Amino acid sequence: MTQRGAGVPAATGSRNLAGQSAISAAPQPANLADVLERVLDKGIVIAGDIRVNLLDIELLTIKIRLLVASVDKAAEMGIDWWRHDPMLSSQAEDDDRQRSLEEENRRLRERIEALEASDGRGNRDG
Amino acid sequence: MAESTGRYLYAIGRGIPPAALEAEAGLGEAPLRVVEHRGLSAVVSDVDLEEYGEEGLRRNLEDLRWLEYVARTHDAVVRAAAAAGPTAPLRLATVCFDDEQVRRRIDEWHDALERALDRVEGRVEWSVKAYVPDRVVPAGVPVAAATGPGAGAAYLRRRKEETVRRQQADEVVARDADDLYDALAASAVAGRRLRPQDPRLTQHAGTMTLNAAFLVEDGVDFAALVEEAARSRPRLHAESAGPWPAYSFATLEES
Repeated sequence: MTQRGAGVPAATGSRNLAGQSAISAAPQPANLADVLERVLDKGIVIAGDIRVNLLDIELLTIKIRLLVASVDKAAEMGIDWWRHDPMLSSQAEDDDRQRSLEEENRRLRERIEALEASDGRGNRDG
Repeated sequence: MAESTGRYLYAIGRGIPPAALEAEAGLGEAPLRVVEHRGLSAVVSDVDLEEYGEEGLRRNLEDLRWLEYVARTHDAVVRAAAAAGPTAPLRLATVCFDDEQVRRRIDEWHDALERALDRVEGRVEWSVKAYVPDRVVPAGVPVAAATGPGAGAAYLRRRKEETVRRQQADEVVARDADDLYDALAASAVAGRRLRPQDPRLTQHAGTMTLNAAFLVEDGVDFAALVEEAARSRPRLHAESAGPWPAYSFATLEES
């Protein structure tokens, strides 16, 4: 009932047939995580006139996770990770995911502190 | 009032004819334009600074629907440019005040951009991910039962043994992933390992042990190479996606 992502990974099959090698306009809709990973974290960093700090990317992904599906929709889909997320629930269990979440949150908090300390100045290539 | 539109930069390439972009629209359906300067082509469109100014971006980047739209539009424009000539994608949300400022950026970064374009010309990016099913713990270290006196110590010992076993299992899957990466890197111009993605974002099953990007000569059937390499590594499930514009390789410094 609560199996997470039972079955195939989300981004299967976006491969091209041989010979069809040129980059075409989105042969199949790419997985959003892949697109975000590239447009937010890769690509050339040239500071424009508008300063926006995409170093906040990790914060952004937390929010993305929270927004990936509305709670009702997610429950329908059998996605229940928020139950294990200490940020969102007190029912968190003492399991591996819990630990890795805590670890991740700790890292993020450190990163936020570091960012705040550096006052969010400037851009940086990943 | 002051200028309320800015120029959103999608990519900088070489010899990108505006006609190649006709099938795509920019953000907010604005027409795409090419700013030519010193042999480089910057692909831009006008954006409203209400939405794409500092304040607007800070607000809007928190909105997943907005972010998804911008990310997918950005990617679609970059793809169209990359299909027309060597292209260096820009990081999302690079906004200048006007064309003159765009030309200034090209001046500033000209030589590094040329080098980046040289590096990716005639090449495409492939993404390769490998997964293992959750918790493949190889049999080995026996787990002691915890009963009677000293149960607390036994419990701690058991926890420690579990940790050791888990570490051993992690080492095996990490070796598999390294191995797959090395095998594929041999067929690629360059490779780069990215951080494994979060299952809560991708909803993939199992644990992602490899998230890699490869720069590959255009025309190479890299998907077939991945399939072949994965066949001889049955503990992994590998998948490829591509071709992508060379997002991970068109960097301003040598990688």
